[in-house]
Amino acid sequence: MRKNMFFAVALITLTGLLLSACGGAAPATVEVTRAVNQTVVVTPTSDPNAATPLAPGSVQINGAGATFPLPVYSAWTYAYKYVDPAVVINYQGIGSGGGKKAIIDGTVDFAGSDSLLKDEEYTSGKDLQMYPMLAGAVVPIYNIKWAQDFASGANAPALVLDRQTLVDIYNAKVTRWNDPKILATNPDLADYLPNSAITAVHRSDGSGTTEIFTKSLTSFSTDWTAGGASAIEWPVDKAGNGMGGKGNQGVAAAVINTPNAIGYVELSYAISNGMTYASMINKAGKTVVANAASLNAAMSDFAGAFSDKLTATIVDASGAGSWPIAGYTYIILHTQNMPDCVKAQKLLEFLRWAVTDPSAGQQASDLGYSVLPAAVRDTVLSKLGEVTCKGTAVLH
Amino acid sequence: MINKSRAVLSMFERLRIRAGKALLHGDRIWQALTVGMGLGVLLLILWIGWILWQDSPEARSAFGLSFLLPSLDASWNPVLDKFQAWPFIYGTLITSAAAILLALPISLGIGIFLAELCPAWLRLPLGWMLELLAAIPSVVFGLWGIFVFLPRIVEPIGAALGSALGPLPLLGAFFTGPIPVSGASRLAAALILTIMIVPTITAVTRDVFLAIPRSQREAAFALGATEWETISQVLVPYGLSGILGAVILGLGRALGETMAVTMVIGNSIEGTLSLLRPGYTMSSIIANEFAEAVSVLHSQALIEIGLLLFFITLLLNLVARFLVWRVARRSPQQEVRG
Repeated sequence: MRKNMFFAVALITLTGLLLSACGGAAPATVEVTRAVNQTVVVTPTSDPNAATPLAPGSVQINGAGATFPLPVYSAWTYAYKYVDPAVVINYQGIGSGGGKKAIIDGTVDFAGSDSLLKDEEYTSGKDLQMYPMLAGAVVPIYNIKWAQDFASGANAPALVLDRQTLVDIYNAKVTRWNDPKILATNPDLADYLPNSAITAVHRSDGSGTTEIFTKSLTSFSTDWTAGGASAIEWPVDKAGNGMGGKGNQGVAAAVINTPNAIGYVELSYAISNGMTYASMINKAGKTVVANAASLNAAMSDFAGAFSDKLTATIVDASGAGSWPIAGYTYIILHTQNMPDCVKAQKLLEFLRWAVTDPSAGQQASDLGYSVLPAAVRDTVLSKLGEVTCKGTAVLH
Repeated sequence: MINKSRAVLSMFERLRIRAGKALLHGDRIWQALTVGMGLGVLLLILWIGWILWQDSPEARSAFGLSFLLPSLDASWNPVLDKFQAWPFIYGTLITSAAAILLALPISLGIGIFLAELCPAWLRLPLGWMLELLAAIPSVVFGLWGIFVFLPRIVEPIGAALGSALGPLPLLGAFFTGPIPVSGASRLAAALILTIMIVPTITAVTRDVFLAIPRSQREAAFALGATEWETISQVLVPYGLSGILGAVILGLGRALGETMAVTMVIGNSIEGTLSLLRPGYTMSSIIANEFAEAVSVLHSQALIEIGLLLFFITLLLNLVARFLVWRVARRSPQQEVRG
């Protein structure tokens, strides 16, 4: 009997301890919020320069969304600790869809997204606005088992594809590497391209990379009827020539392991992993290599194409030096209803730093992304200036 | 003053006694706690099922039964919002079934060896190795699969199976090639799953054999049975319900395994029955597409797949439990236990 009693008491105590441990987190959060609110009361919003400096790490900003820009955002948030120690920014790469849901539900302060908000999502979030942050390119990677060896010491020249051929490959219309269409753009490789079936690899997970790639295919040719989205039904799969890999690394592994395969990954991924990628013949009929310059050219071609929603597609640009498979990645903010004005100000300061600071730009281009050209950057900055909190402009 | 503090003291005293009395019935409290926890599990399962059901109404009404009916021409098209789950259902069932078929004899063999035939010095290290195998994260299996197992082992096996069994009339449908050069196929998923569930099934099988009373073996030997006859005719039938239980555990892991399978199965909804071609499973499609499923119908279709997986797992478990119960009712074990 005594033993039983002891046991019961112990259990109850343990449960109580657990409960109190769980409950412990809530009051701490309250403290932080209160501290921030007090600063708001003290600081006259009209004169931010007179603001008393906030304690290091006292402003927590949470973001979530696209994985496409995650390497850059991680580098930026890490670096920004040295610019403004008061601010701690967390960005979680949960996918564009998840990010959009989170900003509409108000569970994050900003969202990252490669895909555009739909009209009904603008209304459901009331005051949402998208701001382009960076552009990235998508490149075709390939692994061809050449029909004969190249002369000793010589590297294989990069494969050149025109836009229609890329569509035909993913439509399973061009199924062999020595197809006349591929030979036509690669006269140097005529003796080397094998008479072997092409395996077309695509992303199996929904991703912004796929969205950029398939939107490009849609723009390249009316033959592409599968649409442009973060996940689609692949005609090559139906034809039995397709394969899906999870993530950039899954596609890369599938291409590396499958002789005579083609796939697509982000330029940054191809660069950091030293992969060979194909050149493209763009809309202007010029052969272009994917790099920061050709990506920048594509953005400049479309600098005037921004809608009032500040969104633009930059696929299939018409400039002579423009890479045709590219896309913007966006930040989504609430423009009027951010609940915490100090946080709003810090967030916008961070974004302004990200698009204007040379070191931030350097970090992005080191990772294979391209920063906004001046014309686009000015548009973004002026739009950021329109953000208000409780009726007052946030940036000054 | 003194009176007051005394009164307070005595009040505390009374409370303490009352609490003590209540706690004297520790059995009752203990019972309530355990019953509560048991019910909690049940509630959790019902709750999960309910949430999955509640969160997929539009997909269910839009597609109805066509969502799960077998069709080799099924489509999964997020652009046109047209979804059919058959390729994924088939992928999950065929890979799990193949994995169980392959893993059962292997696990039974290892289990019998460990429990009956293994020299004592080898038993412990071998057991450890097995448990280590069970502890390897599935993403590691997937990576190893992509870079080593698939191109070097699965692809040759698949090619051989294709040329040997492909031309057969009925069975041939499951072995029509060619297997992709990278090895990514339903067969690859089945083989990876086999490796992953062998430790689970083996560990339970070994424990089942170790738990069989010594008297059973002695009786068989006394009747002049050889070691092989004792194992096959006495011990295996005796432990059959336990072995079936082990199979259920393995099946559970095979049905739900996501990461390793996603990495090796090829993720294609190509309309074939063949084990040698790339496929897709229910858990893979959810893991792949849920994060970026933007349209309502797309995300609801994925939730409905989750619901289907939930039901299939539940159903297979019920069937397996029923089998265990049938076997246990007939087996001599029941008589021994009274």
